[in-house]
Amino acid sequence: MPFFEQLAGNLVYGAILGSVYGLSTMGLSLIFGVLRIVNVGHGPFIMLGAFTAFWMFTLFGIAPVISISVALVLGLALGFVVFFAVIKRLINAPELSTLLATFAIGIFLEEVAKFIWGPDHRGYSWDIGSIDLSITLIPYSKILAFISSIVIAYLLYMWFQKTKLGAAVRAVVEDSEGAAACGINVGRIYALSFAIGIGLTVASGVLVTLFVPVGINPYMGHEYTLKAFVIAVLGGLASPWGAFYAGFIFGLIENGSYTLLGTIPGVEPFSLTRFVAFSLLLVILLIKPTGLLGGESK
Amino acid sequence: MSFFDKYASLIPVLLIYVVLFAIGILVPGMWQPVAFIMFYITLGQAFNIFLGLTGYVDFGYVAFLALGAYGMAIAVESLGGANLGFGIILIGLVLAIVMASILSLAVGAVALRLRGAYFAIATIGVNEGFRYFVEGARIWGGSEGIIISGAMRNIFGRETANFISTFVSDILVFIIAILAAIVTVLIMNRKMGYALMAVREDEDAAKVMGINVTKYKVMAFIASASFAGLIGASAWTLKMTYVFPSDVFLITYTVEAIVIVMLGGAGTLMGPVVGGLIYGILKYYLSITLPGFQLIILAPLLVVIVIAFPEGVVGALKRKARGNARKYLR
Repeated sequence: MPFFEQLAGNLVYGAILGSVYGLSTMGLSLIFGVLRIVNVGHGPFIMLGAFTAFWMFTLFGIAPVISISVALVLGLALGFVVFFAVIKRLINAPELSTLLATFAIGIFLEEVAKFIWGPDHRGYSWDIGSIDLSITLIPYSKILAFISSIVIAYLLYMWFQKTKLGAAVRAVVEDSEGAAACGINVGRIYALSFAIGIGLTVASGVLVTLFVPVGINPYMGHEYTLKAFVIAVLGGLASPWGAFYAGFIFGLIENGSYTLLGTIPGVEPFSLTRFVAFSLLLVILLIKPTGLLGGESK
Repeated sequence: MSFFDKYASLIPVLLIYVVLFAIGILVPGMWQPVAFIMFYITLGQAFNIFLGLTGYVDFGYVAFLALGAYGMAIAVESLGGANLGFGIILIGLVLAIVMASILSLAVGAVALRLRGAYFAIATIGVNEGFRYFVEGARIWGGSEGIIISGAMRNIFGRETANFISTFVSDILVFIIAILAAIVTVLIMNRKMGYALMAVREDEDAAKVMGINVTKYKVMAFIASASFAGLIGASAWTLKMTYVFPSDVFLITYTVEAIVIVMLGGAGTLMGPVVGGLIYGILKYYLSITLPGFQLIILAPLLVVIVIAFPEGVVGALKRKARGNARKYLR
């Protein structure tokens, strides 16, 4: 049956895209977990990663898979700058202040990007062939994106579990006062976690470009901010690993529901898919605000 | 407090409206900039009823303006042949309030159980979700929107239709601003105002004291949303004579409302007026002198306000003011 073939093909695609969604949300969850700050300007950092990939490819012919490391370094540096310029001053401020500040930072990044690169939609194509799964064609570039996401998430996991610094971050998440009493420099952990969170986000922007052929523009981030919120809430908001798994679930739901909604006559399935995503967000917030995949309630 | 003390803070606000109105009417060529500034003052006044009085940020506020805009467009489009004259605008305004307050009741009942970050995330979700619902299910014209300029010409004739879009819509915004200021003061001086003040200071403590926290938050939310609906109906639909979902759900307007309220001072009556004046004048002249650069200037400005002046201009003045001056600055 063509419908089920299409559904199966879309679900495979959804899982691949979901890995990138997961990676792009880990930074948001890490920052919330450690600093208790929701980065409302999350998407624009993804946009910066996308432009990094675009320029590395068009100017120097460097493959996106290699640009990831460049974007990671740029993101780390930017993360430290933003932390020491703004976030550090707002650590103990009311929640309203950090929401507004991160929101404004996001808008500022978008406007700077528009000023430098213009408002046009850009894109590039990195064609290295594709594999035929009989139900659908999957380009190798997307499979590489899938593998990269999993490798990065795994490396981060190992860093958290096996290194002293990683343990310090976990301690601060658990109890920042207790961690300070044990001699951990909490301020430094905040700075590091924020920078890593931004670094991951910018790096994920590189992988996003492999899924949006001509969608690179200064305002592309909005969509990913909103998706990241849904995914982060799905994964428990404070847990990067929860976010990574939730990314897969979101990818499957998004692509699965697209196929189903496409069978209803007289509607635009693309917009309705997003409506489904946000309805999902509200329902989860209502019944289990700490996330479907567990996560501590704090 | 005497009656005068309670309502004294209205005097400087209304005085500013009168002065602005006079400048717009008497100085040639000034009506357009005055109306532009007035839109932002009114937006700030309406948004302040919720953000200022409860301390919650609604990142999806623009959805209420959008529903108001649709309310007016639907009224004009569907009742255009009924020969109602100006009654149709009245029906449109009522429909705008009804639609905005129904959505705010639904959203408020769900989202106002959440706090801080969760509330912020939920409200962004509502705005985007609603927009995609309108586009995806193709209701109210879907992504093509509703255009009412033809219907307006049929109902009122070319001359009057022009007059409505260039003058009457602006006058309506003035009236909404006055009403919003009065409602703000009325809430502040009643039990509801004191209850909300307690919520703002410490919500858990307020709850323990026996205050029905959710009820007052929802009431403030509905009041704020109704004014947003009125603004959307008059400043957008009647003025522009079209409603496109990609315009009316634009998150920029929410940001502008937040900036205005924070700049002036959240929770004060004068705050949004001062914030709207500064923001409106700045934006109007920046868009002439440096077109396209407004946000690149305003975003860092917001960061500076949040870090350095979290109380806003009026909040800072209020702390310095003594005795009599204080009651005019609430």
